[in-house]
Amino acid sequence: MSEHIPFGYKCLNCGKLHYPKHGRCLQCKHREFEKVPVSSEGTLITFTQLKAPPSGIESRSLFLGVIDLGDVRYTGQIEVESIDSLHIGMKLVATWKQVRTIDNRSIYGFVWGPP
Amino acid sequence: MRDVAIIGAGIGSRWGKYSGSLIEMMAKASLSAIDDAGTDEIDAVFVANMGAGRINNQTALGSALIDYLNLFPAVGASIENGPASGATAARIGYMAIASGVHDVVMITGGEKMRVAPGPVVTDFVATMAHPEAEYIHGITFPSLGAFLARLYFEKYGVTSEDLARVAIKNHQNGLKNPHAHIQQKITMEGILTSREAKLNNPMIADPLHLYDMCPVSDGSASLILCSMDKVQEFERTPIIKFAGTGQGMDTMAVHEREDPTFLKAVKIASDQAFKMAGLTREDIDLAEIHDAFEILELAELESAGFYERGKSHLSIREGETELLGKFPVNTSGGLKARGHPVGATGVAQLCELVWQLRGEAGERQVPNDPKHGYAVNFGGFGNNVVSTILSRITG
Ligand SMILES: [Zn+2]
Repeated sequence: MSEHIPFGYKCLNCGKLHYPKHGRCLQCKHREFEKVPVSSEGTLITFTQLKAPPSGIESRSLFLGVIDLGDVRYTGQIEVESIDSLHIGMKLVATWKQVRTIDNRSIYGFVWGPP
Repeated sequence: MRDVAIIGAGIGSRWGKYSGSLIEMMAKASLSAIDDAGTDEIDAVFVANMGAGRINNQTALGSALIDYLNLFPAVGASIENGPASGATAARIGYMAIASGVHDVVMITGGEKMRVAPGPVVTDFVATMAHPEAEYIHGITFPSLGAFLARLYFEKYGVTSEDLARVAIKNHQNGLKNPHAHIQQKITMEGILTSREAKLNNPMIADPLHLYDMCPVSDGSASLILCSMDKVQEFERTPIIKFAGTGQGMDTMAVHEREDPTFLKAVKIASDQAFKMAGLTREDIDLAEIHDAFEILELAELESAGFYERGKSHLSIREGETELLGKFPVNTSGGLKARGHPVGATGVAQLCELVWQLRGEAGERQVPNDPKHGYAVNFGGFGNNVVSTILSRITG
């Protein structure tokens, strides 16, 4: 499966989906998982506009939020023009992009935006 | 298990910016606690620190402090548990004495954070977040604080004014604490309602402003713990008992928590500490709460069981948690005004409880002869929390 679709780690014993990865299931402590695609569209649970980003982020301000995909949640950057375009409960979809640099390496991840 | 007493407490120098070395700063607090206890016959030293290896290029601080202060033949180690390092080191000191391995233990917490530029310190603190699910996306601790605050605003009707009330209260207390980093009176007009407020108090992580969060500080604090059966050898009265300790955990990625507004680890740690101390919430006379963000003071008071969920902001509106209120919270000024040198914070919270319970807190002494104090030291964004209860048993 492509790296560029949001995914979860499904417990091969009880079926619980996790994101991020754990070595043992949070529900049944089983050790084997399958990486499965999950919905790339979700609902915004909470958000912020961060005006003091850490080193490694080039922009001076960053929109961040927690997105509920139904089976799992993701935390990530959101691409909008202003905080006024964000509200709890709005729909967002994922795209795969560079999210920051760490020690001059480009780091990629899911970035969220209105559909 | 043996009971444990605290016989010495010290914060050697005012928190804020320290120009000497990290070890010198920790030595000042240590000597102040040693002088307070009246003994330097220490069996073990546990140093609480989060980031010296990264921001001060120094590791193995337990060894370094024993060497610098010639505490030989004391043995030691450095304890790292994020911003809960301080109370964790105290808890380990408690265990070392209760188990019978050591009789007298010194706990010294210290952090020298102001050597690095703001974005670097922010990034250093953010390394506690989940590396894949949070950190790489630019998640910082202020952004996690903002997520929590927005949910509280939405769910419980907490407002920016409520957060400002917490900050104003803690600054008022900080003005009476000679060790506090920020000794500045703030007003609702100055930080929220006037035209200048936007300049004085810019938005950092919406809805959190600069004054809704603690500063970045250098600072150190120290405690001397002693087995209760040896405490008569020292003339330090009244005796403060290390009455309860608890530690709780939660998922590392905040988004994996079923209800992100409930701080499960605070509840677990607190329930354990109360059970061990044999006390109820009503017995507690004052509390030191880990207000790295002012929203956390409200949320921790609820998760620790002092207020119903979604109700603690009503107590700040009514002044209940002020110095002269019926349940004083953060008499030291809290992290907001005393400052937050991460490894030192949990130790300084216990120093404040010791001074208050002894009646030695000076201008900020709470009235009515307090007997029991509670502290919560919050690590990660609430995935590793230590609660402590101290009680005065003589005097
Ligand atoms: Zn399972």
